[in-house]
Amino acid sequence: MREQQEDDQLTGALAQAASMLRAEPVPRAGWREALLEAVASDEIDQMPLHRWSVRPAAAIAACAACVIAGAALSYGVLRGPAGAPAPGVAASSVRNGDASLPVRFALEAPGAVHVSIVGDFNGWNPAGLPLHRMPDGRTWEVEVGLTPGRYAYAFVVDGRLARDSSAAESGADDFGVPNSVVLVGGS
Amino acid sequence: MLVRAVLAGDPAAFAVLVDRHAPACLRFASRMLGSREDAEDATQEAFVRAHRALARYDEAVRFRTWVMSILANRCRTTLLHRHRRTSRVIVDGAAVEQAAGPSTDDDAELRDAIERALARLETAQREAFVLKHVEMLSYEEMSAITGAGVSALKMRVRRACERLQVLLREDGYA
Repeated sequence: MREQQEDDQLTGALAQAASMLRAEPVPRAGWREALLEAVASDEIDQMPLHRWSVRPAAAIAACAACVIAGAALSYGVLRGPAGAPAPGVAASSVRNGDASLPVRFALEAPGAVHVSIVGDFNGWNPAGLPLHRMPDGRTWEVEVGLTPGRYAYAFVVDGRLARDSSAAESGADDFGVPNSVVLVGGS
Repeated sequence: MLVRAVLAGDPAAFAVLVDRHAPACLRFASRMLGSREDAEDATQEAFVRAHRALARYDEAVRFRTWVMSILANRCRTTLLHRHRRTSRVIVDGAAVEQAAGPSTDDDAELRDAIERALARLETAQREAFVLKHVEMLSYEEMSAITGAGVSALKMRVRRACERLQVLLREDGYA
């Protein structure tokens, strides 16, 4: 404190000069009146600014959620569990304005013989929606028309359920394997 | 509370605020801008903006601090535009005229010397020096006005003082 006071203490010519700078300047005649006239012709903004208060962690979480949701809707990266065939990929494409949105599910399972998808959208019927092997011999895909909503699903690889370990959200474990969930957005 | 009176529809209350705070605002702007005309314009604009935003005024902050923060922004903007327009430091015209001619007053010579020296400081250092040693504000209030931290402001004031002393010595003042 004493050191700071000494730091703030001006000496010599600078102290004298600073005291001169403290003299109040005299404005031109009519300046005050012009100021008050300008104020009188202006209006007070009656709408207080809305003050947003967002914690950094919440902002980061919100951004991350947006990125994940966007990625899930645009690409829907899907992978199988450990011990299951190689991780898979599912992608979705969206046509704005349609009641039903095409969502493409894909799974990378090079050694599989039969792959299907089960979920809320087909009554969890394993035979209902088979995936088709792609020319690369590794990827299995199917496109499903879904109306906006939340759907739990899982892959069935050669008779074994395999959830998507990288989906944005996991649903309840209804069949021995935790389900994956896809959120299909409206337009 | 004068601000509440203005918001309640009493324009005379704002005149009281102007009379109470305008002299210090004019002084600050004059020392920052080195021009009486620019200082008057900046101060007038600061008060008009303060009046317009009065409903958003936070009573936890002193009115002087609030209007000074608006004014400090106006001064920085004025200096930025001036720099872009001219790319050189402009000092008060009257001071230049006085400096160019013979002076018979030692005080006037020192005053001219400090104004020239002040004009040669970086804006942030000049702002810190004027708030501290001309307006005699606390570092906490300076921080509220400038948005800079107390430590940074102390450093700016110290460097401003060192620079001003060098410049004054060059002009023959110990």
